[in-house]
Amino acid sequence: MSAVPILRIENVTKDFQIKRSALSGENLTLRAVNDVSLDVYPGETLGVVGESGCGKSTLGRTILQLTRPTQGRILFDGNDITRLSRKQLKAIRQDIQIIFQDPYSSLNPRMKVRDIIAEPLENFSSDRSAITRRVHEVMEIVKLPVAYADRYPHEFSGGQRQRIGIARAIAIRPRLIVCDEAVSALDVSVQAQILNLLKEIQRETQVALLFISHNLGVVRYLSHRVAVMYLGRVVELASEQALFENPKHPYTSALLSAIPEADYSRRGTRKYLSGDIPSPIDPPPGCPFHQRCEKVQDVCRVETPVLDALAPEHWAACHFPNVSDKGIRDGA
Amino acid sequence: MAAPSTSQTARPGSDFFLRFRRSRNAMIGSVIVAFVVLMALFGPLLTPHDPVKVNVLASWRAPDSTHWMGTDALGRDVFSRIVLGGRVSLIVSMSVLAVTLTIGTVLGMCAAYFGGWVDALVMRTVDIIFAFPELIFAILVAAVLGPGTLTVIIALSMVWWPGIARLTRSLVLGLRHEMFIEAAIVSGTPAHKIMRRHFLPNIVAPLIVRASIGVGFIIMAEATLSFLGIGIQEPEPTWGAMIRDGLSQLRTDPHLALFASLALGITMIGFNLLGDGLRDVLDPKVRN
Repeated sequence: MSAVPILRIENVTKDFQIKRSALSGENLTLRAVNDVSLDVYPGETLGVVGESGCGKSTLGRTILQLTRPTQGRILFDGNDITRLSRKQLKAIRQDIQIIFQDPYSSLNPRMKVRDIIAEPLENFSSDRSAITRRVHEVMEIVKLPVAYADRYPHEFSGGQRQRIGIARAIAIRPRLIVCDEAVSALDVSVQAQILNLLKEIQRETQVALLFISHNLGVVRYLSHRVAVMYLGRVVELASEQALFENPKHPYTSALLSAIPEADYSRRGTRKYLSGDIPSPIDPPPGCPFHQRCEKVQDVCRVETPVLDALAPEHWAACHFPNVSDKGIRDGA
Repeated sequence: MAAPSTSQTARPGSDFFLRFRRSRNAMIGSVIVAFVVLMALFGPLLTPHDPVKVNVLASWRAPDSTHWMGTDALGRDVFSRIVLGGRVSLIVSMSVLAVTLTIGTVLGMCAAYFGGWVDALVMRTVDIIFAFPELIFAILVAAVLGPGTLTVIIALSMVWWPGIARLTRSLVLGLRHEMFIEAAIVSGTPAHKIMRRHFLPNIVAPLIVRASIGVGFIIMAEATLSFLGIGIQEPEPTWGAMIRDGLSQLRTDPHLALFASLALGITMIGFNLLGDGLRDVLDPKVRN
């Protein structure tokens, strides 16, 4: 892993204004992403996990400038991309691509596979024969028969459609791909194929992946490092191994204990979280997790913990990260 | 390969003609429309008499074997005039459609895609035009510009484009957050190309329906303007003017107004049936 990050997210906050009622004109602020800082290095996969509504997709969308952050900077190759004009942004489009969750709505139903994959290429080149060659090349990479190039998306299965989406994303040889729940809509067996495909592509091209998912198993399989998000904040960030084997944040432990376990001898240690994720419109004071945390103390209700380095390359935002939760596990 | 295609994403076309033939409305409508169009195209070659030739000695003739629908006050052959009047109606309505579909879809797409002040400007203009009753506004424009074929086309275009713009805008708003649009943005596709390649092909079906129903309205409105005398002028025959002229002789020579009204009514029914049928065929939501 090289020391210079390809993408640096610096204190990014994204607020959405919500009209409470048309009459009073009173606005509510929903803080979807709250002061998030992350680095992504060339050739690595950074997993981002969290429950629905924790802001992980919004984070992905701000990286692609599909929505602009309210505060903070996003540096790509050291250049802040949050303040670029439409025209300057176009240059960045060659370097950052996205793979969407829904393989149905992410492909224009009225375009042929060939044209879908060629679209990003056409925006940066006018050499027809080179584009066609590249389209066939990436179709081979994603293991779609070139004979399918003149078909329409509705003729394909979900997994095949996702391959088309991946082909479109890698066609222009981006250096970073945001995978927003890229396999969540697929069958488990198809998920595995797509994950292996992504791994293979990364090995060959050294593309960096920001892999957003609620599925910890999937994230673990693909990621080198993992960030856990809760209520718009990163609560823990560590290498895949450290995070899964030695979680520091009680939220991470709870998430890990919720992974279905086939090995019967390891069952019976499930930690259950009570309550729902708090509303990002009206977040609780102090630690955002305190209402659901088993280790909650008075300080947690008042003071918001910051991300602390607890070990080399391991950060967690918790007042009592080192308190063992062994007792809680065994007692359950 | 058996991909479950949702109704929204399914590409019509494959079974379009099959469903079209099963729809009674669409079939009856298309037969009538085809007849009217063929008559407008080739009718003038076949008409037995010159539609503008005045022959005062032969005026007020009742229908007989030489003049199938009789003659008018100036002795002109009514059948020939109705055939030529159909051509005028179709030219006017096709011109109005061409103008309004172009303006309406472009402005509607821009309003929905860019939002903000573009949206406000376009939609408030639309609201202002909508505030007037359609025909009153068209009459106003026609009165200002003076009578003539071009006037009719301009006046009807001005009242008809806001409907297209509003429909286009709502269709595009529905598509705006489809992920293939975001994928196109992320791919660096410029706005005009997103509209042409991604929005337009996905909204043509409802626009076609709207247009084919609209033809009926436009023909009727043209007839109304001509009826009021601020539309297309003599000696060019139009159904509206023929109905107006025939009204004064309704007691004595009812054929004058009758045949022109029949032509107008049948044509409108034809386009409306075609439009309804197309909607049934193209809109997956009302398909059973």
